[in-house]
Amino acid sequence: MKAGDACLLKLEGVSKTYRGSSNKAVDNLSLEVAPGEIFGFLGPNGAGKTTTIKMIVGLLMPDNGRIIVDSHDIVKDPVSAKRSIGFVPDDPNLYNRLTGLEYLNLVADVYGVSAADRAKRIRDLLSMFDLASEVNDIIQSYSHGMKQKLALTGALLHNPPLFILDEPMVGLDPRSSRLFKDLMRNHCDQGYAVFFSTHILEVAERLCDRVGIIDKGRLIACGSMDELRKLSSETDESLEDIFLELTLPEQVD
Amino acid sequence: MKHRLISLIWVQLNMNFAISHSRYYYLEKRQRLWEGVLIVVSVIMTAAVLAFGVYKLADAFYSQASLLHQEALTLTTGILAAQFLMLILGIALVIAVFYFSDDLPCLIPLPLRPWEVLASKFAVILSNEYLGLLVFIVPIFVAYGRRANVGIISYTLSAITIFLTLPVIPIAIASILAVILMRIVGFTKRKDMLTIIGGFLLVALIIGVQFYVQTRLPARGEEQEFMMQLLSQANSLVAILGRQFPPSIWATWAISEAGTSRGLLSLGLFLGVSALAFGLFLALGNRFFYQGVLSGFEAPTARRRTFRGKPERIRFSERTPLLSLAVAEMKLFSRTPVFVLNGFIGFLMFPIMFVVLLLLGNDPEISGLWSSLVNVPEFHSIGTLLVGAYFFLLTAFSGIPFSPFSREGKANIWFLRSQPISGQAAAMGKALASEIMIVVGAIPGLAVLQYTARLPVVSLIIGVSLGIAASYALCIWGVLLDMARPMLDWTDQQKAIKSNLNTVIGITTGIVVLFLMGYLVNLLFKRGCSGLVAQVVSGTVIAVVLGSGLRVLQLFGDRLWSSIEL
Repeated sequence: MKAGDACLLKLEGVSKTYRGSSNKAVDNLSLEVAPGEIFGFLGPNGAGKTTTIKMIVGLLMPDNGRIIVDSHDIVKDPVSAKRSIGFVPDDPNLYNRLTGLEYLNLVADVYGVSAADRAKRIRDLLSMFDLASEVNDIIQSYSHGMKQKLALTGALLHNPPLFILDEPMVGLDPRSSRLFKDLMRNHCDQGYAVFFSTHILEVAERLCDRVGIIDKGRLIACGSMDELRKLSSETDESLEDIFLELTLPEQVD
Repeated sequence: MKHRLISLIWVQLNMNFAISHSRYYYLEKRQRLWEGVLIVVSVIMTAAVLAFGVYKLADAFYSQASLLHQEALTLTTGILAAQFLMLILGIALVIAVFYFSDDLPCLIPLPLRPWEVLASKFAVILSNEYLGLLVFIVPIFVAYGRRANVGIISYTLSAITIFLTLPVIPIAIASILAVILMRIVGFTKRKDMLTIIGGFLLVALIIGVQFYVQTRLPARGEEQEFMMQLLSQANSLVAILGRQFPPSIWATWAISEAGTSRGLLSLGLFLGVSALAFGLFLALGNRFFYQGVLSGFEAPTARRRTFRGKPERIRFSERTPLLSLAVAEMKLFSRTPVFVLNGFIGFLMFPIMFVVLLLLGNDPEISGLWSSLVNVPEFHSIGTLLVGAYFFLLTAFSGIPFSPFSREGKANIWFLRSQPISGQAAAMGKALASEIMIVVGAIPGLAVLQYTARLPVVSLIIGVSLGIAASYALCIWGVLLDMARPMLDWTDQQKAIKSNLNTVIGITTGIVVLFLMGYLVNLLFKRGCSGLVAQVVSGTVIAVVLGSGLRVLQLFGDRLWSSIEL
C-alpha cells in the first residue's frame, strides 16, 4: 500500500483467550491506523497490549476477528502481511552468537533487500544510532541499549510501511531516544505508519497523532488528544490524568 | 544451611523435570493434556521395550558366562559400560549444566557458596542419569538376581544402593575435568572455541584411557594361559577387569555377594570412593567454579580488525532467504559450545572407536573378521549400504535435525516467527543446515571406512548418495517433528538438544528404521538378490520416505509454523 491509501492496519473485532484461561486477553478489539499516523497504544500492565501486538505481527493467532496489514490478512496471508511490517518486541533477544552485521544481513536477505539498498540503509541507520564501530562484534557483547538499537535497525532495513514497536524507548539513551522519535516522525511523513505501545505517557502525548487505551482486553478510548480530553471530566487534563481516570481500578465497598 | 541446600536442590529438580510447569499447563490449565499423557505413555512403553531387550541380552550373557563360571561378569560388563558411557557423555552434560545454564545470573548473586550451587546442579545431572540407568542397568540387576543364588533382601538392598550411587564416580570425574577445563578456558579470549576443543580433547582422553585398559587384557599368545586361569577360578575375569577400574569390581561384589562380609566390604569401599570423588569435586569446585562462570560472563571482545570502526568498509552479502537462514543456523550452532559438544560428538567418536577397535585393538579375531569381510566380492554392495547407513546413523544420533526450533528457545523464536517466511521455508532452511553439518561431519568416519574397506569409487559415490538422501529424509521428518512440538522452555542448552524428547524419538526411530532396513536387505540377499537390487530397493524406500516428508511439509508446514504461539 502506498501513502495516501485508506489504512495500513485494521483490526476488526479481534479477540484472544489463552488456552486454559477463562478471561479474554483481548476482547472484541477494533481499530485502524492510517498512513502518516503515529498511533500510541496504552494500557496498564496485563491489559492486552503485548497480546494485541503479537497477534498483529503473527506471533499469536486471534480466536475471532480479522487483522489486515497493508491490505493483507495476517492469518490468511502471513508472509505478505509480514513483508509490510517492521517489528521490535519489548525485550529484543537477538541471536547472541551472530555479529551485528550478520544479523542485519540475515534480516535483509529474508526481506529481499538488495545489496546496494542494504548497504546504504545499514550505513545510515548504524551511523544514526552510533553503532557502526560495533557492528562486527558479536551481539553477546552488546549492552541492552545497543541490542535495542540493532533490533530497530533490523526492523527499519526494508523501509516497512508499518512499524510495530512494543515499548521501544526502554533501554535507549536520551540521544538515541530523541533520534528515534525523529525517525518515527520522518517515517510517517513518508506516508507510512507507526504503531507502538508505551508506558511513557509524556512521549505518547507529544508524539502520537492518535492514542488507544486498552484495559482488561477492551479498547476503552481511542482518538486524538483533543478527542480523549472530551472523554474526561476536565478539558485541560494531561494524558496521564486521562489515562489514570479511565483505567482506575473499580472500588470495592 | 541444610534447609537452604535442600530448597535449592528441589528448585533445580523442579525446573529440570518441569514439575510446576507441567502441573500448571497440564493439570490447572488443561492445556494439551492429551499431549502430556501421550508423552508419558510413549516414554514408559519405549523404556519398557528397551528394558526388556536389555534383560534378555543380560540373561543370554549370563548363560554364556556361567559356562566359564564367570557369572558375575554379567554385572561387571553392565556396570563398566554404564560408567564409561556416563563419563564420555558426562563431559558435555556437565559443561552445559554447570557453565551454560540460564539461571546462573540469578543464582550467583544469591548468598550461596559455590559448592552449594554445584551440589544442586550435580543432583540434577544424577537425576537424569537415573532415568537412563533404569532402562540399562536395572534389567541387568534383575536378570542376574533371578539366575544367581542370592538372598533376595540383601541382594535387593545392595542393588538399590549401587544403582543410586553408580553415576557418582563417573560424573564426579567428568565434573572435576570440566571444572579444570573451564578454569583454564577462563584465562583465554576465545572461550567458546576452547571450550569446544577442550571438551573434545577430554572425550578423546577418556577413550584413550579406555583403549589403554583394553590393551592391559591378555595379548596375542597369552590366551591359553589366560583361559586356564579363568576356568580354574570362578569370576576371575571380573577381578582382572576390575583391576583396571576397581570401583566396578567393588560394585559387582557388593551386589553378587550381598550379605557376606566380602559384599559388605566391597559396598563400603564403593561408597567410600564415591564419597571421596564427590568431596574432591566439591572442594575443587568451591575453589574454581565461580571463577570459570564469571569469566564466561565477560563479553567477548574479539573483533575483526579489518572492518572495525570503518562502516564504509563493511561488506554486504546477498543471499536467498533459504540459504541465508541455513547459513545463520550453521553459524549459531557451530558457535555454541554445548550444541557442538553434543551434536558433533558422534562425528568424532564413531570413527575414533572404529579405529581403536579395528586397527589399534589387540583382538586379532575382530581385525581378521573385518579383513576377510572386506575381501568378499559382495562386500562392495554391502559396503555401499554401510556408507549409507553410516550417514543415517549419524543423523539420528546427532540430534541436530530434531531440535532446530527447540534450540531457538522462547527467547529467540520470536525473530523467525515474525519474519516474512513461510513454515515450509523455515523448515527447509533448518533441514538444509542440518544436512550440511551432517555431511561435513560424516567425512572423518567416511575416510576411516574408506581407508579400511577400500570401496571402488562408484560404490562409494552410490553409498554417499544413498546416505545423503537417507540423511536428508530423516532431517525433513526431524524438523517436522520439532516444528510440531518444539521444546522452547529450557534453562540450559543441553535440554534443548540432547535432553529433548524429540531427539530421543529421533534416535529411537533411527535405530528402528536401520534395523528394519538391515532386515530387509538381509532378506533380499538370502533370496539370492544381487547387491544392486538391494541398493535399488534401499534407494526406493529412501525416496518414498523423503518424498512423503516433503509432501507433509508442503501440506502442513505453514499450519505447524503458525501453531508455535508465543
